[in-house]
Amino acid sequence: MTTLFRRSELHSLAAPYALDALEPHEHKRFEKHLRRCDSCAAEVRALREDAVRLAWSTAAPAPAAMRDRVLMAVRTTPQETASGEPQARARAERPQSRARRSGFSPFLIPLASTTAAAALVVAALFGVQAARTQDQLDQERAQAREIAHVLAAPDARATAGRDANGQGISVVASASERTAVVTGAGLGTPSNGRVHQLWLMLPEVKPRSLGLLDGDTPLIATGLDTNATSLAVTVEPSGGSAQPTTAPVVQLALESVGFGE
Amino acid sequence: MEADELLVLVAGGDQKAFEELYGLVSGPVFGLVRRVVRDPAQSEEVAQEVLLELWRSAARYDPGRGSALSWVLTLAHRRAVDRVRSARAAGERELRVARRSNGPAFDQVAEEVEAGLEREWVRRCLDRLTALQRQSVTLAYYDGYTYREVAERLSLPLGTVKTRMRDGLTRLRDCLGGVA
Repeated sequence: MTTLFRRSELHSLAAPYALDALEPHEHKRFEKHLRRCDSCAAEVRALREDAVRLAWSTAAPAPAAMRDRVLMAVRTTPQETASGEPQARARAERPQSRARRSGFSPFLIPLASTTAAAALVVAALFGVQAARTQDQLDQERAQAREIAHVLAAPDARATAGRDANGQGISVVASASERTAVVTGAGLGTPSNGRVHQLWLMLPEVKPRSLGLLDGDTPLIATGLDTNATSLAVTVEPSGGSAQPTTAPVVQLALESVGFGE
Repeated sequence: MEADELLVLVAGGDQKAFEELYGLVSGPVFGLVRRVVRDPAQSEEVAQEVLLELWRSAARYDPGRGSALSWVLTLAHRRAVDRVRSARAAGERELRVARRSNGPAFDQVAEEVEAGLEREWVRRCLDRLTALQRQSVTLAYYDGYTYREVAERLSLPLGTVKTRMRDGLTRLRDCLGGVA
């Protein structure tokens, strides 16, 4: 198999590219070429529109349950900015209050809408799709797949809670799959190298660590006990603790997502 | 509202706009994914992943590079193709054998087409392609084979397959006309 293409050979890959029929290494090489070749870009655009006609002819009504699941997931899924960064980092200058513990109440809220303005500004600044490493893309895709898998469970439900300072977590969970996707919202990064640790609160036994929450990267927690009552986030020393050493900065009841009893 | 305008609102975190966008694209996305992936449960999972990805990465849509619908369906097609390719790589050999014994892909298309004007037109236009143009295009687009695999299946040189794909798509364009 040749990995070096002459220019004319590269041009001839436009149609297979439009049909998503290139091998990964060719795909990468062709996309690189596309950025420098205006006539190829125009040709690819036209060929893509042709290919899409083939797609339209296959349209079929999507299952009704899928709509509910997707719209539910949207309520708890953070969006990317045009630069490809999660939005939390785009609003680093948001004033942070330390009065975290007061007045935390769980309620369903469109988590992403608070960052809409930031997203629009960033989208305007970076009109073009910025470069993202393959690793980042792979990781995001793997996450999206995991989340989609949880969502596919018939009993998947979502809930979210945040306090008056905008700190909280959002959860998509399935009791039958014993899995939850947990995303931090507005938690920021604790000072002095400390970390946010997520705990599963259980009746009459000690909390169980579900791992460390890193920014707004979704954490996928599996093997959850179905009698769990809530999720809690505490600030812990670097690397996390075996048991919580501070009071929770965030706590969210799991009853509404089918856990407990 | 058009999908193009909706995507801009969605990029800004507008959930109402996303609901409207969902209404416009979920059918085409689901239908396309099911056509490529076949397995109903897996199709639903991939379609969900795609629709969620629209929400997450709406900001990446660049109107200068094509229509919103083409962006959405291109994304759906890529994810569907990724899924069948990894399933094939994981050795779902019986799938491949079953497909091979079913003959050319177009027969499957023909079997599966339901009523619908667009469907009917696409079918008619596919009919007007030469057999090799049609097979090259449908094996890649509907069955997720790379052009190298298509060449192998049709026992054709690589260059010929690339040309057939291009001619097939261009001829399809002439037949369907420029109107979406």
